Amino acid sequence: MLADDFFLVAWDTTGTGKPRLYLQGLTLGLAGALIGELVLENRLTVSGTRLQLLDRLPLRESVADATLADIANSPQHTDVRTWLAYLAQRSLDDVTGRLLTVGLLECVTPKLLKHKQNRYFATEFGPAVWPSTRLRLSLVRRQPLNPYDMLLAALVDACGMTDTVVEDPDHRPTAHRYLAAVLAAMPQPLRDLSRHVSAAVGDAVLTYRT
Amino acid sequence: MPVAPSPTRPDPIAGALAADRLGAPSVVYFVLSAAAPLTVVAGVVTTAYAVTGITGLPVAFLAVGAVLAVFAVGYVAMARHMANAGAFYTYISRGLGRPAGIAAAWVALIAYNALQVGLYGAFGAAATPLVERWTGVSPPWWLLSLVAWALVSVLGVMRIDVNGRLLAVLLTAEVAVILLFDVADVAGPAPAGLSLETLSPGALFVPGVGALLITATLGFVGFESAVVFSEESRDPRRTVPTATYASIAIIAGLYALSAWAMTVATGPAHIVEAARRDGAETIFVIAATQLGSAVVDIARTLFVTSLFAAMISFHNTTARYFFALGRERVLPAVFGRTRPRTGAPKAGSIAQSVLGFLVIVGYAVLGLDPLVQLFFYGGTFGGFGVLLLVFATSIAVIAFFSREPSGEDVWRRLAAPVPAAAALAVMVVLAVINFPTVLGVPEGDPLAWILPSVYGVAAVVGVVWAMVLRSGQPAVYSRVGLGAKAATVHDLAR
Repeated sequence: MLADDFFLVAWDTTGTGKPRLYLQGLTLGLAGALIGELVLENRLTVSGTRLQLLDRLPLRESVADATLADIANSPQHTDVRTWLAYLAQRSLDDVTGRLLTVGLLECVTPKLLKHKQNRYFATEFGPAVWPSTRLRLSLVRRQPLNPYDMLLAALVDACGMTDTVVEDPDHRPTAHRYLAAVLAAMPQPLRDLSRHVSAAVGDAVLTYRT
Repeated sequence: MPVAPSPTRPDPIAGALAADRLGAPSVVYFVLSAAAPLTVVAGVVTTAYAVTGITGLPVAFLAVGAVLAVFAVGYVAMARHMANAGAFYTYISRGLGRPAGIAAAWVALIAYNALQVGLYGAFGAAATPLVERWTGVSPPWWLLSLVAWALVSVLGVMRIDVNGRLLAVLLTAEVAVILLFDVADVAGPAPAGLSLETLSPGALFVPGVGALLITATLGFVGFESAVVFSEESRDPRRTVPTATYASIAIIAGLYALSAWAMTVATGPAHIVEAARRDGAETIFVIAATQLGSAVVDIARTLFVTSLFAAMISFHNTTARYFFALGRERVLPAVFGRTRPRTGAPKAGSIAQSVLGFLVIVGYAVLGLDPLVQLFFYGGTFGGFGVLLLVFATSIAVIAFFSREPSGEDVWRRLAAPVPAAAALAVMVVLAVINFPTVLGVPEGDPLAWILPSVYGVAAVVGVVWAMVLRSGQPAVYSRVGLGAKAATVHDLAR
């Protein structure tokens, strides 16, 4: 699912087991992806700043259904930014939980410093690197993207990770140009959603405190 | 089935989001710790006495504090109606139009960079005597400044901010030391006794008063930042105004008291002479007679840590300023990107560091004085820029509320903003006229008109750039003043 793929792009599960992205950006990107999963399945839509419920029918996946239920049960909150902030609080636990359940991830808890970040390692190499490989190839070879990958690319870009995905500096100008065209052609709800993630990430940089 | 929300049933979403929200005391701490009080009291105040040669600084802090408090009435009211309650230029952009906003953004960029770079000079000057006492070696000031510069540059790109708790401890210690010094100063007055001369309004009616006003404004820099936390505060309608007024009151009271206490210890007639003789050591020399060397050594160390905290704080503020402008594409887009691993606004941070390096090396090569010509000139030049921004914002507040009353009462829309704008206009005029006194140079010295006109040039270039953007890149133009939220604006048609 989309949030799983975003996690695998943003977390170095095949090397150090540490995140490639700072925590605030990571959790906001994951929150955007969790909403995105429901938008792609026509359960929700985003229009301007509003998040609207279209259909309460469950997806039969516990994290997505819990998110959908939360949104359906609080109709007084329609602001996308409110939901991004709310979901960001638990998005990392939700998504790693999902990947641990299906056995794609292993968690290593630091022995000495308990407060330090858990490390996550992929159990299989191929599936773990596939999302970022797929994005890189599509962007560099200028291949058409389906809505799912468009949104993944948009969220990755909103979190400032495009250059992390396109490792070769020579390929970056091509990739950036093509990405801009892809983003411009994205369906409106996906475009609005990724823009809010981008703004939330930017605001997090501006109000950063320790 | 969904249950209709009722007032009796707690809202789980709002509850979860409110859990880590800030109350007014936390916001005040953020504002004050960035202001680094010991930097102002030990560095700015004493150097101001030495350079300007006039003694009305204590009452100037009170006067500027009063003006800013009245200004803040309209300012925090307008903040409530802004999508992006960030820096001054966003208010100016909304109230006076985007050309004025871009001009203000450039003025602000210059001002904050000047404030930051100036701190390197103070650090060098303040750390040299400490190193000398500890090691017996006396390094040149620029070597220590470069060490600090290197640390700040690395920490900036790695986005290691000074931990909030550590800053709070430092701030508390600084304020405690300042108050202790004040008590000691007042307990051991010079033969003139507890003279209130420097606190009387009469002390403002002297030639060169504009210099005092700029210096006092410099002490308040950072008071505006409480609004940045409006989205993270528990109750934006109350938390942000309370924190802003409290910050202004604390700054005004603490600095006026300290500046006055020094004049009591030396006698108002001798403070200038003492400050000219002892430089960055002035308050320590004054206090040493009352407090003994152990306390004074702790204070000296705190002065250096205070400067270091201020350097990191201003470095990050400046880097984020670059970032916000990069996000809007007012600056090249590269400034709007972050380093993925850390989220540091990389390009802005590097740009700031490069400027700092060039300035330190330039001053070292030219053999200029780090305390007066780098710290004080940089600080007052930056402080003057901030004064211009506050003045322009005060006009923007009036213009904004005259177009969109937004349900605010007449006190917030007019009765407070208009007198505030008038008072700020007087301050700007006096500041320009008295710029030679700020710099301690004779009338007619070219520096005294070159420095203020830098802002004029920046503003004109900013307006021209705005025109270029409007005709060439209307989509970019339409985003000006939105900061990070620029990403949510679709196109010009909207």
